[in-house]
Amino acid sequence: MNSIIKSAKLSNTWLKNNAILVTAVRNHWNKDYKPGPYPKTEAERVAAADKYGLHPSEYKPYPDDGQGCGDYPNLPMVSGDSKDPFYPWDNPELKRNFNEPMHAEFDLIREDRYDVSAKLRYPLWVFWAQFLGVMFGTFALYSLLENVKMFHPAIPRQYPSPGKKHYTFERADE
Amino acid sequence: MGNSVTTYATGGFNLYFHPEITPSPLEEPTFDPLMGFENGRKERVMIATEEELRSAKIPLDERDYCAHHLLAYRSCRRDNWPWAAKCHHGKHAYLNCRYDDFVIRMKEYERERRLRVKQQKKAAEE
Repeated sequence: MNSIIKSAKLSNTWLKNNAILVTAVRNHWNKDYKPGPYPKTEAERVAAADKYGLHPSEYKPYPDDGQGCGDYPNLPMVSGDSKDPFYPWDNPELKRNFNEPMHAEFDLIREDRYDVSAKLRYPLWVFWAQFLGVMFGTFALYSLLENVKMFHPAIPRQYPSPGKKHYTFERADE
Repeated sequence: MGNSVTTYATGGFNLYFHPEITPSPLEEPTFDPLMGFENGRKERVMIATEEELRSAKIPLDERDYCAHHLLAYRSCRRDNWPWAAKCHHGKHAYLNCRYDDFVIRMKEYERERRLRVKQQKKAAEE
């Protein structure tokens, strides 16, 4: 029994020293997820473009300002909603072709998320005009007609009280 | 119906632009209630007593000349629950009373308005 525990402890230490064997399982991450360093020379640029399956003329990395993504390509922001649904995609669910590089913000611009490249039916100012027209139009109507509200043409309800007499419209002598 | 549309839609404008001939729905009549009635007017009678209303916890704003109908209707509901539909007759009587009350109030309003118009005309002639 003791020897079994000892051997388990040994294998645990061995796994700790070779983190690469457990990282992908424990942390859902592996080294291929991380982009390489920012390409500085032309040769590095061409190598990085080739790595991501892009033509060197299409390849443009994020600016290396400390917030960049290393050599990961800065792809055009095109949401899934804006992609052609009738094109024979290799992966129609994601509207994506085989080996096509994924956008760095892929989790934001999927079809079930935000449509960053939406084509509006009318220009944006039309929508703003509609919204503000309804809001301010309603407000204007309300404030203009504030003093001329409708009412029932009737006197207030009559409650019997001492010293107060109310009458019907019938003759008293009937 | 056309009359009521006109009356309701123009009421607010009349009250704002001609307050001297348009009584507000919030104010009591200002003229003598017996003026112009040669044969007098029948007085409205309160049938339910203050004690009855108080013990039945009838809300203050319901203690008008129809309160005895409301009292009867509520007691009927209480006695017959859950067969409240048995009290349809009492409910009908109560709602009819409220309707007649509203008609009286509308007539009082119209009387007040016409008397004001008359008063204005008289004042203009003098």
